[in-house]
Amino acid sequence: MTTSETVAERFTERQKMALSALACLLTALVAAPLSGLLDLANMVMPFLLTVLLVAVSLGRNPAVLAAVLSVLLFDIFFVPPRFSLAVSNLQYLITFAVMLATALITGHLAASLKEQVRAAERREQRTRALYQIAGKLAGALNGEQVSEIVQQFAGDELAATCHLQLDETSRPSPPWFDALPAQRAHDSRQRVGDAAAGDTFYLPLVAPMRVRGILAMHFPGERRGLVAEDLSLLDALASLTAIAVERLHYVEVAQSSELQMATERLRSSILSALSHDLRTPLTVLVGLADSLFLIKPALPGAALDTAGALRDQAARLAGLVTNLLEMARLNAGSVRLRQEWQPVEEVIGSSLKLLGAALGQHRVKVDLPADLPLLRFDAVLIERVLCNLLENAAKYSPEHGEIGIVVRPVGSMVEIAVCDRGPGFADAAGRQVFEMFVRGQPESDKPGTGLGLAICHAIVEAHGGSMRLDNRPDGGACVIFALPQGVPPVLEAELP
Amino acid sequence: MTTVLPNVLLIEDEPQIRRFVRLAVEAEGCAVVEAGSIAEGLSAAGRAEPDLVILDLGLPDGNGIDFIRALRAWSGRPILILSARAAEHDKIDALDAGADDYLTKPFGVGELRARLRALLRRSERPAAAASPLLAFGNVLIDLAQRQVTRAGAAVHLTPIEYRLLAMLVSHPGQVLTQRKLLRDIWGPTYVESSHYLRVYVGHLRQKLEDDPTQPRHFLTETGVGYRFQP
Repeated sequence: MTTSETVAERFTERQKMALSALACLLTALVAAPLSGLLDLANMVMPFLLTVLLVAVSLGRNPAVLAAVLSVLLFDIFFVPPRFSLAVSNLQYLITFAVMLATALITGHLAASLKEQVRAAERREQRTRALYQIAGKLAGALNGEQVSEIVQQFAGDELAATCHLQLDETSRPSPPWFDALPAQRAHDSRQRVGDAAAGDTFYLPLVAPMRVRGILAMHFPGERRGLVAEDLSLLDALASLTAIAVERLHYVEVAQSSELQMATERLRSSILSALSHDLRTPLTVLVGLADSLFLIKPALPGAALDTAGALRDQAARLAGLVTNLLEMARLNAGSVRLRQEWQPVEEVIGSSLKLLGAALGQHRVKVDLPADLPLLRFDAVLIERVLCNLLENAAKYSPEHGEIGIVVRPVGSMVEIAVCDRGPGFADAAGRQVFEMFVRGQPESDKPGTGLGLAICHAIVEAHGGSMRLDNRPDGGACVIFALPQGVPPVLEAELP
Repeated sequence: MTTVLPNVLLIEDEPQIRRFVRLAVEAEGCAVVEAGSIAEGLSAAGRAEPDLVILDLGLPDGNGIDFIRALRAWSGRPILILSARAAEHDKIDALDAGADDYLTKPFGVGELRARLRALLRRSERPAAAASPLLAFGNVLIDLAQRQVTRAGAAVHLTPIEYRLLAMLVSHPGQVLTQRKLLRDIWGPTYVESSHYLRVYVGHLRQKLEDDPTQPRHFLTETGVGYRFQP
C-alpha cells in the first residue's frame, strides 16, 4: 500500500490521467497479438484488471477514465470490424455496457476502499498525535509550557498557528486574533468559526469546573475550510488543553494554600517564642520583687514599699504584654476559637474571680435573667473581654462606685453590658475606640494604651457578635457586646 | 524538730526563676533539690524521692509532659506545673498526664506558697482521711450516708449531681480537667459534650453556693476544668 500511496502523492491530477490512459493503451497493445487465439469474452478481462489496478493506485477519476478508454479500445482493437468504432453485431453493445458498468463499479469500490484505508491511517496518526500531546500536557508545569506544546501540535498536525488566551493571564495576541468572536466563544461555550471558508477558529477551553480561556487557531495561506475530521481534532485538542489548564490552576491553588499554612505556622511559633521570652523576665521580676518580703530579718518598711511597687508595676507590664500578644495573635489570624456551649454566668464568675483584688473597692452587681440559654463561645477569650471591660470600668469609676454587669436576650442575640459610674465616653456613637491605641477619653490622666477595647472588639467580632458604647442617662459609661444565640444542644434528661 | 523536712524537687531551666521559687519553697519549711532539664530531673527524682515536684513545661531537652509520664510510672507524688504558655491545651495535657495543679507565669510568691501548702497537705492526708464527713461553708456532706445538708436543711441532689459533687470534693484544691470529669461521670462517649458538665456544675452552685454567679467553692479554671476549694 505504501508504494501506491507514494505513487498517488507523487503525481498531479493531470499526470495521473495520462498514466491511466497509458496503462489502457499498454493493455491494448499487449492483448492485441492474442486477439485471434482467445475468445472475445476473455479479452475483456485484461481491461477490467487494468481498471482495477488504476483505481487502486491512482484513485477514482483516473479509474473512470480507464473504464471509458478500455471500452473504446476494446471496441477499436478487438470487436469486428476491427480498427473502427462501428459494431457488426448489436449484441456487442450489451458487452460494452456490462464491461463499462463492471469497470466503473470495480474502480469505484477499489478507490473508495483505498480512501478508507488512507483515512483510517490518518485517523490513527492523529490519535497517536493526540495521545502524545495528552502525555506532554500532563507533564506541563506552567501555562507557558502548555502554550508551547499546543503550538507545536498545531504546526505539526494542522499546519496552523495558534494562540492560547487564558483567563488568569493575558499575553500579547497575534494580529489575526479578534477579541470579539473569542469572547462569543467563551460565553457560548461553543466553537466559533466558519468551517467551510473561515481561516480562524475560536475554541472555548471548557474544563470540568468552568471555561478557562480560548484557544484560537489560524490557518494561513491557501488552505481554507476544514472537514469534520479536522474539527473533531480541534475539539479534542481544546478539551485536552482545558483539562491541562485547570490542573495547573489547582496545582497553584494547592501550592498557595500550603504556603499560607506554612506562614501561619511560622507566625504562631514566632508568637509563642516571643510570649515565652517576654514572660520569663517578667516572671523573674514579679517573683524576685515578691521574695524580698521573705528575707529574714525583714527589710525596713521603705524598702518593702519599693519592693511592692516594683511587683505591682511588673504585674501591670505582664498584663500589658498579654494584651499585646493576644492582639498580635488575633491580627495574625492564628487564633482558633474553641467554641463550646456554656452558661454565660460561669464566665462572668470566673472573670470576677480572676480580677479579684484588681477590682479594689468597687462593688460588682450582676443582673442575670434566670432562664438564659446556653451560648456558644470560647470561654478563655470571652473571659479576656470581660476582664478588660471590668478593669476599664474599675479604672474610670470613682472610688466605691458600683460596676454593673447586665445580661439580656435581645432578638437573636444576648447582650452583655458592663457599666460604670465614670465620666462616660466623649463620643459614644463613634467606633474609633475599637481601633488600636485609641482611647475613649483622649486627655485622661488614667494610665492606659487604648489596646483593651480593640482586643475586645476583635474577639467579639470573631464570635460573630457586635460591640457598641453607650453613656448612661444618670452618668457613667456602658460597653455592650452581643453574642449570637444559636441553637443550643439538647440535654438528655436524667432519670430520677 | 524531729520530723524530716519535706523534700521538693524544682525542675526549671531559668536560674533566676529557680532562685525566687527556692526562696518561696524554703519559706514553707521545705528542702529544695534543683534540676535544669528533664534528664537531670529524672535522676534527681530517683535519688531524692521528693515529696513534691515543681516542673516547668518548657525545658531545653523536651516537653515537661514527658517527665510527668515518666514520673507517674513509679511515683504518685504531687506535681505542680509552671507554664509560660498561654495555650490552655498544654495545661490540660499536663493535668491529664498526671500533674495535680498549675500556675501560669508570671505568678506571685503568695500564690505559689498557697498552692504548695495545699498540695503538701493533700500528700500527707491519705492516712488520716478516714472520716466520711466533709464540711465547707455551711454545707455538710456525709459520704457514707450520701446525704448533703446546707445550713441544717437537707439538699436534694440527682444521682449525677451527687457523683459530680463527690468527685470534686474528694480532690480538694486540685484542678480536674473537663475531659476527666466527663469521662468518669458521664462515660467516654460524652468527652466532647462539655455542656453537660457546665450545666451540672451550675446546678451544684445553685444548690450549694451563697452567690452562684460568684462561687467560692466550685471554681472554674477557664478553658481547663474545675477546682473544688473547701
